[in-house]
Amino acid sequence: MNAPSTHGNVDRNMAMFMDLNVSYTTDKKRLQGLIEKAAHLGYSIVAINYVVDMQQKKQEIDKPKCVSELFDTFPIVQGKSRPIKVLNRLTIVATDPSHFRPTAVYKAYDLVAVFPKTEKLFHAACMTFDVDIICVAVSEKLPFYFKRSPVNGAIERGVFFELSYTPAIRDSTMRRYTIANAVSLMETCKGKNVIVTSGAERPLELRGPYDIANLGLLFGLSEQDGKAAVSTNCRAVHLHGETRKTALGIIHTMKKDQPLSEGQREVDDPPSKRPKIELS
Amino acid sequence: NPGKSCCIYILKIPIILKLSLLITDFLHRYLLCEVCVSDQKNLLLLDDRSIYNAAKAAVSRVHGDYGFALTSIGFSVKYLNAHTGIVFLRCRKSHYRLIWSALPFITSLENRGQRVPCFLNCLHVGGTIRTCQNFLVRYNTQQLHRMLLLCQSEEERSEIRKAVLSCTLMKDTNVDYEESEEED
Repeated sequence: MNAPSTHGNVDRNMAMFMDLNVSYTTDKKRLQGLIEKAAHLGYSIVAINYVVDMQQKKQEIDKPKCVSELFDTFPIVQGKSRPIKVLNRLTIVATDPSHFRPTAVYKAYDLVAVFPKTEKLFHAACMTFDVDIICVAVSEKLPFYFKRSPVNGAIERGVFFELSYTPAIRDSTMRRYTIANAVSLMETCKGKNVIVTSGAERPLELRGPYDIANLGLLFGLSEQDGKAAVSTNCRAVHLHGETRKTALGIIHTMKKDQPLSEGQREVDDPPSKRPKIELS
Repeated sequence: NPGKSCCIYILKIPIILKLSLLITDFLHRYLLCEVCVSDQKNLLLLDDRSIYNAAKAAVSRVHGDYGFALTSIGFSVKYLNAHTGIVFLRCRKSHYRLIWSALPFITSLENRGQRVPCFLNCLHVGGTIRTCQNFLVRYNTQQLHRMLLLCQSEEERSEIRKAVLSCTLMKDTNVDYEESEEED
């Protein structure tokens, strides 16, 4: 694979583990600790999760912090030779259809997730919303049952369901809800299109990828589906997120960094002689 | 008739082999786990009893009486290195996934009244101790290479290399790898 790393943005390695939900905290040290631990455990990609609860008034969606500000040099992934990759993810907790309004701010994030609280919204999220991930409640009793038709619609569209395991680790009652909700989801989706993420706030709440693949046993996933839930399915989500930035997944444009001297010359040159910006 | 007895003898061998597999050899799985703690000094507080108890408690918490019953047969801590935090857990092959699925729910280990917040990270699952050991040797060399990258200067790096080379080879082959990690 000789493709330049700056292009395309997605590695083509199959056996990559990802954790697409690491909670955002303003505490920079803790966030660094989390990402270092994730790299130590062998996760190649992590996504920092910004949760916006639209029910609270005057909630505004901010632009995400620039990822490169976190580290000078990103930690190397265990067992690989390349540094860990960090994404930004937006989760919208929606109780009303008006809460999900795709604006330009959404495009600043690599992944967009929605946490529907009602059955109507769940249906809409599966069938129409332009999202990558639909969160499944793990810390409370399911407010609705999963129906076959919206779940099948989501699978057809390539939208994935997310289960996070941190509440299950913290508390026994949460563990019961997590397992009950996971099993009832598996009954309808038959183990397809599921990803398992951490949702960790502290480094000690992360778990290794092999452990999580095996944890699928409790959630009603088969061995193969459990492995896919931390690797190939996450990759599909990442790619799905990438296509939002492109025109129908075919054309991708990006800004080209130009050296300073060329930039100065640009002012003098007539527009026809300026260097063309390449499409890639 | 010597030919006949020979024939019987040959016929018996597979039967004996089969029986011996059924009766004496239980197939096991060895889980090679790493104990991750926030402070490396806390690792020295651990002993195999505390890990055994924590694992057993976690399995019975998640799987109830059934899980407790399964951990009471054939489950043991085979090896613990308190310096690097490496543990070998042994359990029967027939239900190792059930026991493994409870291990992520361990949040702390307790020893003599002191609680150490930690988690177990499974690195390898093997059928024999030997495959696990081979994996561990490879893993520890990998760790050493990762740590060498963190060295600030070339002097430090060469110092560590010298320290590694000066280690004497003891009976157990992974001893020298472990010692080298401590010095980092």
